[in-house]
Amino acid sequence: MGRIIVITSGKGGVGKTTTTANLGMALTRMGRTVALMDADFGLRNLDLLLGLENRVVYTALEVLAGDCRLEQALVRDKRQPGLALLPAAQNRNKDAITPEQMQKLAAMLAEKFDYVLIDCPAGIESGFKNAIAPAQEALLVTTPEIAAVRDADRVVGLLEAHGIRKIALIVNRIRPQMVQANNMMSVADVQEILAIPLAGLVPDDERVIISTNRGEPLVLEANLSLPGIAFNNIARRLEGEKVPLLDLDAPYNTLIGRLRRFFSR
Amino acid sequence: MTVPLVQPNAAGLDLILPPELDWQHLQELLPQYFRITESWWSASSPVRVVAGGRVLDTEHLQWLTDVLQKQELIITTVQTEVRATAVAAAMAGYSVEQGMVAPVTASDAAPALYLVHAVRSGVEIRHPGTVVLVGDVNPGGCIVADGDILVWGRLRGVAHAGANGDTQRVIMALEMAATQLRIGEQVARAPTNAAFYPEVACVQGNAIVLYPARDFGRTAPGGVF
Repeated sequence: MGRIIVITSGKGGVGKTTTTANLGMALTRMGRTVALMDADFGLRNLDLLLGLENRVVYTALEVLAGDCRLEQALVRDKRQPGLALLPAAQNRNKDAITPEQMQKLAAMLAEKFDYVLIDCPAGIESGFKNAIAPAQEALLVTTPEIAAVRDADRVVGLLEAHGIRKIALIVNRIRPQMVQANNMMSVADVQEILAIPLAGLVPDDERVIISTNRGEPLVLEANLSLPGIAFNNIARRLEGEKVPLLDLDAPYNTLIGRLRRFFSR
Repeated sequence: MTVPLVQPNAAGLDLILPPELDWQHLQELLPQYFRITESWWSASSPVRVVAGGRVLDTEHLQWLTDVLQKQELIITTVQTEVRATAVAAAMAGYSVEQGMVAPVTASDAAPALYLVHAVRSGVEIRHPGTVVLVGDVNPGGCIVADGDILVWGRLRGVAHAGANGDTQRVIMALEMAATQLRIGEQVARAPTNAAFYPEVACVQGNAIVLYPARDFGRTAPGGVF
């Protein structure tokens, strides 16, 4: 049986779908088979980020209705044959599917794949409940902003109440420069509130936007960018490897930088 | 008036479903509440569901049974004032108490609620006595108590002591960085920069004031120490 992991955040736009796409790619490159499940019914995006939008024929709903087999609905990635996407329906809304049906689909996928990653929609309503229903573990994505952190905190409570105890944190879109100038929450600030183990840090980078628009996850690049390395590291940590966290402050850790920080406190 | 959701009774636990909370809200609140309070009841305690005027159908009762089962608690009795609920409960095999129960009132006799857990965003702890929390109250979290509130951790959410109007109550925290403090009818914001030492909030005149914890007993008139 594969591991079923939900990627969630509470707040929208913090990078759940980007994280799902990149982690899926990174894990397949490490030789694992991965199924990505889009739980964002009515607002699906995962197919775009993977560049698979023109190959979607059936969706999860057709599988449930018995109109097609699971294999037919799965979109296999040509670049990475170990990766498959189970698309959500775009013409319906969150109530088109129930938590029990999500559990059924995820269980079917977990039999065939090493990992099932569920891309959770924003919010804590029915779409969220559907997405976490089958999950055994959760990756919580947040950005270093008070609004995102507060929402993430709420989600931790809901996940724990649902019985998901294995929750790890991904802090996305960090700008080390702004953290240095005390204009952005640091990772330590975020962790102080959420108090859950850290799965990884991802720096803010324009290349993330470019890769999103092209439909080519960052981890596919020949020369990995910093965020690409970050996602790769998270995938390795999921596999149980001990990988040190990226030191995003390294360029600022000079004597002058330290003195400046000391006096700005 | 604060009404607890879970309260010990002679035989086991009372699960109180306050009529002012709608079902959906309760569905969210109860699992969190049980997890937070699990240190002060023992598994397999018999539970009496106090439904009062609320209508519970078979589905509602099934949901409650499932939630409690996860905590290894068993519903034995359902108290109700509504015939439909009584019928549903009897069909589900629970013993039924019909008629009014004495409303749960706040009193000094209510035992203090001792919690070892973080109160995260969206969680609201209500208790008719004093609340002692070992852990943080995060932004968006809330504690409402008729008695005092002691937070052995960072208080960054909202705390309301003396919720029944008692202005003699105090709020204590190792780090007082609350979004808002309320004592009785008084409301105050905590200072933007929290002090590095533990503080105590109490009402003086018509305002909530903060004292360093080590001076509180000496300087506060009628201090609790």
